[in-house]
Amino acid sequence: MSCGNPVADADALMQRRKKYDKTKNCVKCKVAQGNLVIRHAVYCKECFLHLVVHKFRRALEPTVNPKPDGPRKTTLKPAGNLLVGFSGGLGSSVLLDLVHRCYIALDKSTMPTDGGSHHPRHERVWTRVIVCYVEVCDAFPGMKDRTEEIAKHMQRYEGLDFVSLRIQDAFDPSWWERMGGKPFTSELGVTLADEGLFLQALSSPSSDPLASLRTYLSSLPTPTAITTSVQTLTRLLLLHTALQTGSSHLVLGTSLTSLAVSLISGVAQGAGFNIREETQEEWVPEPEVSTSSADPSENAAGAKEEKQKSRKGKRTVRVVRPLRDVGMKECAAWAWWSGVPVIGKEKWGWAGAKPGIGTLTKDFIVGLEKDYPSTVSTIVRTCGKLAPKGDVSGSCILCGRPAQRGVQEWKTRISIHSRPPTQHPTAPNGSNGSAVETSPACAADPDSLRPSLTPYLCYACHTTLTSKSARPVPSPWPAVARASTVTLPVWAEARLSSAKGDGESTEHVHGEILQTRRVGQEEMKGIVNEFLLDD
Amino acid sequence: MSTLAVKVEFGGGLELLFSNERSHRVTIPALVPASPSTDDDAPKKPADLTYLIHWLKDNLLKERAELFVENGTVRPGILVLVNDADWELEGEGEYQLKEGDEIVFISTLHGG
Repeated sequence: MSCGNPVADADALMQRRKKYDKTKNCVKCKVAQGNLVIRHAVYCKECFLHLVVHKFRRALEPTVNPKPDGPRKTTLKPAGNLLVGFSGGLGSSVLLDLVHRCYIALDKSTMPTDGGSHHPRHERVWTRVIVCYVEVCDAFPGMKDRTEEIAKHMQRYEGLDFVSLRIQDAFDPSWWERMGGKPFTSELGVTLADEGLFLQALSSPSSDPLASLRTYLSSLPTPTAITTSVQTLTRLLLLHTALQTGSSHLVLGTSLTSLAVSLISGVAQGAGFNIREETQEEWVPEPEVSTSSADPSENAAGAKEEKQKSRKGKRTVRVVRPLRDVGMKECAAWAWWSGVPVIGKEKWGWAGAKPGIGTLTKDFIVGLEKDYPSTVSTIVRTCGKLAPKGDVSGSCILCGRPAQRGVQEWKTRISIHSRPPTQHPTAPNGSNGSAVETSPACAADPDSLRPSLTPYLCYACHTTLTSKSARPVPSPWPAVARASTVTLPVWAEARLSSAKGDGESTEHVHGEILQTRRVGQEEMKGIVNEFLLDD
Repeated sequence: MSTLAVKVEFGGGLELLFSNERSHRVTIPALVPASPSTDDDAPKKPADLTYLIHWLKDNLLKERAELFVENGTVRPGILVLVNDADWELEGEGEYQLKEGDEIVFISTLHGG
């Protein structure tokens, strides 16, 4: 093949590579003409629709039983109800439709052809299916409130319960109490402007969750931080709703494409330690939340919960993403051919905001998927092979995910501070450990003794709160003054309050409180004196 | 015939850019310039999907062209079906339109 001039020589232009392998016939049934190309494989409409259901079941059903199945497949018997997180987007619309077809309507076309344990003659897998929608419009200026539209959409599906929340519930103590959370007496605020993230009692406890939400978001340092925080708040709201509704499983409509985006964008923001949780996780609430719910219709489920609790000690919620093998294109084709209306969700933005890491990652991955469709599934497959090193030390107070031990020490070692570091001063010759001082011992830096949010945070959340932008960042709510001290979400306040109050040893992420001070040479010599050999 | 009539549908939120109408009946010339040119002597080609996309952008699109087209074709994240089949099976932009064809544009991004 010569590199000829295409204008002069028609044959010189390289043949465009076909976007599908071999023939236009369906690769599965080999009979029908193809209707859709997925990562170079051709499928007819019927085989495609079956394939999507199969992938959905394959991703969800092995996670249903509390313990994974042994060599023989057993009946599906979940420990609680099913909560479906619904955002109005493509993935969650497809997810809801599949959940309804497979587990409520018991659509025969979705049943596996073998008469196995899933056969409809057996009982329904889920006693109760609840759909939860979190309205985020109050976090972003000018965003439309879709709650009514979503509620209307739910009427298509019989046999489902619908719960709608608002993003500011995360700052609402009365919502927290309705969820079974212990009421907290005093509130602590955090100074986000200072990288030390010091805590102090709030002069007047917040009474308006909406104001608390907007103040919190306005005080975050970057657009990335704002987007990530809204996502984290949404996820925690869903998790607590799962607990309160007696749900053992929370399913989310994350498609293969969305998962690739969140994996890459998560790693870019420092959440690599939780890379496995991004696909599937087992969440344990902390502080422990009472499982007795106020809802009388919950009695049957409530009794089951109590039994389960006494058996296992702690309630957990398993978060599963059943569409993780189904790409965005496949979701769109499913929705179109199955007649699923998609309400959609608005882009999160505000005047002057530059795109954050999440938005940039999404644009990149979506563009990549168009030209190189296999790359997206490779990203997810490769991330699935990763297992982070490092010990777990408690769970993060903000995001609820396992926190890695030793991150603050590491951060102190590698970063440039606006103030001199208070811990682990380095010796002049660069080695770590206790400093060699020629001056007398100086008093401990008072800041190291001030209560701070830092020990409670995982690396990613700490970075989210402290990683500053070089440019001034326009706030979504310019009318809201950047407060010096902001309220934290209710689950964080509850944990701080329980840590502070009871006189037990304060439970920090690292399991111990570190206090360091500079040690003078004479004092050090005094400590090791008895071990020194005589010259 | 010197014109072609095709049915165009929009889904996944794209209809918002096209006067909020999901379904449109569109008539385009059967033969179109092979390259963007107003010259009558310019070589002609049968109307293809690439031409249709540009025609829609110039004649039906009411706002925010960047949400529909990018780099001379549909924006990444838009699924195109030709008579219920993936346009990737039909040669994408080079597919030559026939009378009565049904083209569907579905956005997977929902508001961008």
